[in-house]
Amino acid sequence: MTRQLTSALLPARGGRGSIPAKAGVGLRFRHHREVLEARPAATWFEVHVENYMGGGSAPGFLDAIRRDYPISLHGTGLSLGSAEGLDAAHLARVREVVERFEPGLVSEHLSFSVAGGTYLADLLPLPMTEEALGVVCRNVAQVQDRLKRRLLVENPSTYVQFRHSTIPEWEFLALVAKRTGCGILCDVNNIYVSACNHGWRASAYLEALPPAAIGEIHLAGHSVRHIDAARTIRIDDHGSRVAPEVWALYAEALARFGPVPTLIEWDTDVPTMAVLLEEAAHADALIQKARDDSARAIAA
Amino acid sequence: MIAPAPSLLELQRALRASLVVHDDTGVAAHVVDGAIGAAERLDVYRNTFAGVLTTALRLSYPAVHRLVGAKFFEGAARIFIETSPPESACLDDYGETFADFLSGFEPAASLAYLPDVARLEWAVNHALHALDAEPLDVRRLAALADADRASVRFTPHPSVGLVRARHPADLIWRAVLDEDDSALSAIDPNVGPAWLLVRRLPTGVEVRRINERAWLFTSALCAGMPLAAAFDVARDFETSALLADHLAAGLFVDFRLKEAST
Repeated sequence: MTRQLTSALLPARGGRGSIPAKAGVGLRFRHHREVLEARPAATWFEVHVENYMGGGSAPGFLDAIRRDYPISLHGTGLSLGSAEGLDAAHLARVREVVERFEPGLVSEHLSFSVAGGTYLADLLPLPMTEEALGVVCRNVAQVQDRLKRRLLVENPSTYVQFRHSTIPEWEFLALVAKRTGCGILCDVNNIYVSACNHGWRASAYLEALPPAAIGEIHLAGHSVRHIDAARTIRIDDHGSRVAPEVWALYAEALARFGPVPTLIEWDTDVPTMAVLLEEAAHADALIQKARDDSARAIAA
Repeated sequence: MIAPAPSLLELQRALRASLVVHDDTGVAAHVVDGAIGAAERLDVYRNTFAGVLTTALRLSYPAVHRLVGAKFFEGAARIFIETSPPESACLDDYGETFADFLSGFEPAASLAYLPDVARLEWAVNHALHALDAEPLDVRRLAALADADRASVRFTPHPSVGLVRARHPADLIWRAVLDEDDSALSAIDPNVGPAWLLVRRLPTGVEVRRINERAWLFTSALCAGMPLAAAFDVARDFETSALLADHLAAGLFVDFRLKEAST
């Protein structure tokens, strides 16, 4: 099982910059010194683009870290789903960060975060309509054109669905990838959370995504919020270990997509690097198992 | 009756109202509810919006947070966020007008020094995140003809901030962040004004007291006023020495001879 990568928009350089099909971890400020001093056995790191747009010590740390570790840049502020279009100033800042750190991967979200000129500090849900599909495709194309590289678009976790949606989210995302040539960042935890919240079949989501487009997988923890004794909602808070059901769904994703660079995300109550590396090791074991199973299937 | 489908633009503006001013009227009818209603679903996003921005303000204003306590700070932040939500996804830049807000915030009126402390904290925050730049090479200045020197307009280092406070905001700020209760209680908040120069050095952010004349002179220079005019503002025999100090300390990163074109 091979994955054809859309070559036209990929950065030409390989080696240090590119992200291998193994597990990496999200790098927070609190780990900067430890990474430089102790050189932990992480395979690669992902950071949030918006944290590296100013001056101060953070960009300097990342300059040093990226000499030894491949880096992926993950954005939250571009607002790919905004009907009012992309903020040119923010896109310019993203480009500066991408050019400075030469990441192996660049990703954003299938959502919107800006409306009426206000940044809404969260990833907000889109109606799954033809109009929204057109807006997202237009914005994604603009980003890829400006950055001169392929963008990965991540499936969101959502707490709201709209009555006037006409396209299932998994089909919507597949269409965005088909029309723009962008890649997909498959967040397996988000699929699980949204499936629980909306009554979807998680496997149906995986089945609809084109394997060739999958450029990265995210894994994270989530919490169960009890609205009252009878009702719960799952919240994608990235504040704990990956849940067993999500590990199982991840194994299913690997069987379907083949080995994919996989990120362990943990943004609240961030633990020690050692704990993050434990989670990464678990993902690496599943990737290896998927490779072995695939080899056995071919040999049989 | 089913509400007619909104355009994407209408829906996104309605979601903005839902999050910023807690008004669901434009969006509730379009949300699939069921066992969990529209308001409860929108609450998830509302809580994240308020939580993320309150945290951003707390990180930018740690001394104000300590002075008023968590509960008061969250209440003030909630009102500020509603009237002044962010315009940029770079949250390090969020909250510039919080000091002005606190000036007009009646529940904080008894802490007359609070807005001054906030203004200082904003300058410190700005200094922390400002881009870096190489100091001006003074040989370029020395090479100028005498006649040109009078019209030199300086560009300050991006981290430089000048704060004029009616109260000893720097002493309060330091004592609060050092958690030095005895120092804090020894401060007379009405002892008089402070003129402060804030900048980022390789060792960290520096907050320095200077006298009023020096502050006015430095402010004029940093605002790009021509050198001769800045000397007029200061009218003090020490200004040449002060300029030399500033140049040696790398306070400026560039200069020009003409008005910057807009």
